[in-house]
Parts: sequence; structure tokens; C-alpha cells
Amino acid sequence: MKLRNAKRIDFTGTCPEFDFFEKFSDATIDLIRNKEKAEVVIVVDRAFGFAASHLKDNAAEPHLISDHLNLTGDNPLVGPNNPIGERFPVVNNIYLSAADTIDQEETWTMGNPLSKLRTGIAAGVKYGAVPGPAELDLLYSMGAHFYNWNTVPTMIIAAHAGLKVLALAVPEGGVLPPQVLMAINR
Amino acid sequence: MIKSAPRTAAEAVVALKKLSSEVPVAAVVLGSGVSVLDKLLDPLVLPYQDLFGMAPGVAGHSGTLTVGRIAEGGPLVAVLRGRFHLYEGYDWPTVTLATRAIVEWGVPNLLLTNAAGGLNLDFSVGDLMVLTGYRDHLNPQLKETGLLPAIAKPATDCRNKLTEKLLSVGEVLAITQSSAESRPLRQGVYAGLLGPTYETMAEIEMLRKLKADAVGMSTVPEMLCCDGTNTTACAVSVITNVWRPDEAMGGHEEVLEASKNASKRLDRLFRAMLAELG
Repeated sequence: MKLRNAKRIDFTGTCPEFDFFEKFSDATIDLIRNKEKAEVVIVVDRAFGFAASHLKDNAAEPHLISDHLNLTGDNPLVGPNNPIGERFPVVNNIYLSAADTIDQEETWTMGNPLSKLRTGIAAGVKYGAVPGPAELDLLYSMGAHFYNWNTVPTMIIAAHAGLKVLALAVPEGGVLPPQVLMAINR
Repeated sequence: MIKSAPRTAAEAVVALKKLSSEVPVAAVVLGSGVSVLDKLLDPLVLPYQDLFGMAPGVAGHSGTLTVGRIAEGGPLVAVLRGRFHLYEGYDWPTVTLATRAIVEWGVPNLLLTNAAGGLNLDFSVGDLMVLTGYRDHLNPQLKETGLLPAIAKPATDCRNKLTEKLLSVGEVLAITQSSAESRPLRQGVYAGLLGPTYETMAEIEMLRKLKADAVGMSTVPEMLCCDGTNTTACAVSVITNVWRPDEAMGGHEEVLEASKNASKRLDRLFRAMLAELG
């Protein structure tokens, strides 16, 4: 897909509670999906509790999210179905990998920096929840590599609207490498 | 926004007693696309709209309660076609309303059905799985905590005398029917998830690690609702697909089609089971 020179809509800020997605869903998704014909949502979210297997020199680093566990206890699509999507959305194969990103020719000329990020599975936990050590071990044993709060509900809404998601998990105190930012901007 | 049913269980029981002065020996709840006990003798039909003040809104559910006999002189049964789901935005009292009405009416046996995704790789599309346990991942209480407490807990064992009877009837049927019609009954743990999204592959792998054999979006509230009452509940999942990494996942249409194909075997199983209960 070609996103270079495409129109973009930037959302900055967090979506602290699912309930607020009610005002996020109709108008905004309609804007994204129908008027601007978007194909991709890029989600950059804080992530916490990285598994030891996903640390580099004992430090967390940004990851591309390849899949998720919805452990929030909720789902932003609960309620009457918005006809923009299916009543029962299939949410597999929604996350974009580095290989199928966005304007590959452009990103490959930059050395495809997205492909240099590690990939991992995000556990979406209830907003504000901070799992303790035993709970983190449980998350890891279930296949997660880190947890975050906002990616999963955002991704579900995007998938329902037929969009693909490029999701980046940035550890607390970390930033995206400049090359990655440039690749995303391209 | 959370939606509530306009009627109470007590009001529904008044309507049920007007419909039939005799209390059925069993009630059967049919899930998405599951079609059994279609032709009852002397049927009395009540739309959910008249019974509960509302109708189900999901495709594959007709939204009626039928009371009738499975054969001349046979037991009286109530068949409920459709249910209310948490993912539709209904609250817990509404999702359990039909079950609470059945319990208050005094029906001693409740047979629940659902369409479920197969997690157990030994399963095939169209298999019937009798629930020997369930995992509650959809309880509204989990909105307060997230799912971590739920995945930390073992599955709830739900085997009871009705489950055992269903399995023994299934064994006899498997022996007496032709091989073309017969399949052995499966047993396993059902994971009840909130929905309405289908599971991601990571979630499927997690549920497999938790020893769940099938996954769906219903049944657990009804099972919980029967706990501690005089109504014994058992449940059967129609396996509508089996999640495999190398296969694309289908949607609701696939669920409805697979449910339809398995319904004949389920119909024979339930008729044989109900004949024994009568």
C-alpha cells in the first residue's frame, strides 16, 4: 500500500477509558474510514513490564506489536453494532509487520528501520492496572511480552472499521528511534 | 450504554404459567444457528417480545419459546430459540433473565447449546462437545479488575448427573447409529469470552495453555445462574470451526452453516436424552 504523500489525521493523547470510545467511534471512525479513505492506523503506545527475553542489555526498547491478548475485561464494541463493521469482527492478521509496511520502496531505501525493531505480543490490561511480579509471570506464561493500556481497544475499533494497524510499543522513558519516525512519516 | 429487559423473571413466569399449566421436564436453549426439536407435538409458542418484553437482535436467533411434547405421551419440554448476550450491551440480569425464569418456573433440567470455536486440535467442524467445565472470562465483575484474576483461576468443573446422562445417551447412540450418521461426543472445557470480536491467534494460544477446548460468547452466565438452584444445567457446544495457524478464520456465516449441519445429530441426542428424563 502507498501512504507516501497521503493525507494523514494525527491524534495525540490517550484514550483513558473504553467508555470514551463511544464518542470516538461514530464520528471519528466515519471520518477516517469514509471521508479520508484511510487504510492504516498507526498506534504508538507506552508499554510496560517487558519480559526478560525482550530486553536488550537489561533495558526495554521499542517493539512492533504482532498480536495481542485482550485482558482488559471489556471490549469497545460491546453494545449495538456500528454498521461500519461486522457484528463479529475477525481481528486476526490486522497488525502490519515491518515487511508489509507502508511504501516499502521508500522504507527499504532507508534500510527499513521498522524491520530492525523487535516484535512482541502485547497484553492489553485494564487502564491504569499495574501487574505485580506474579501477574507479570502469568502474562509471560500466556504468551505476552509486555503490557499496555490503550493499544488493544484502539486496535479493535480500527479492525472493526476494516483498517490495518501498525502498532508500536514504546517503553516508559523511551522514544522511537529517529529512523523509525522518519520511516513512519514517509 | 447498558440495556436492561423491561420484564422481570417473576413477570415472565406469570406468562409461562398462562401458556402451560404443566411445568416442562426440561428447557432447552438454542444458540446461534442451532436448530433442534423443531417439530414438537401440540406446540404452544410465545415470542420473546411477549415473554420478556424484548426480542434478541443477533442473526440466527428467532426469539421464541415453544412448549410441546417430543412424542405422543412423551415429556413436555420448553425450547428457547435465542438468548441475550453481554456483547450486545445487555446487563447481567437481562442475560440471565430466561434462565432465572426457567428456574423460578420450577423446570428441573436445563440443556444449553452454543456455537463455539474449537481450540482442541483433535476436534473437527461439526463435533458436539459436552461441557465438563467452563472458564468465566466474561463476567461484568471483570470490568473492574481486568482478566488477570480470571486466567489465574482453574476452570470450573460443571459435571453433574445431567452431564453424565447426556454422555451415556451419546455413547449408546454412537453404537446404534450408522457410522455415516455417528460421531463420538466430545467432552471439554468451554471458555466464555465477552466478544463480540473473535479471538486473536495469541488469545487462542493462551486459551489452549489454559486447557480450554472450545471458546464462545455465552452459556457461562446461564450455568452460573443455575448454581444452588433446583435446576440442573448441562451444555453442549457445536464446534463450528477449529482455529489453526495455517487456516484463515471464518466469520459469523461460517458459524451458522456449521451449526446447521451438526443440528441433526444434536436433535437425535436431545430427543433420546429427553425421552429418558420423561
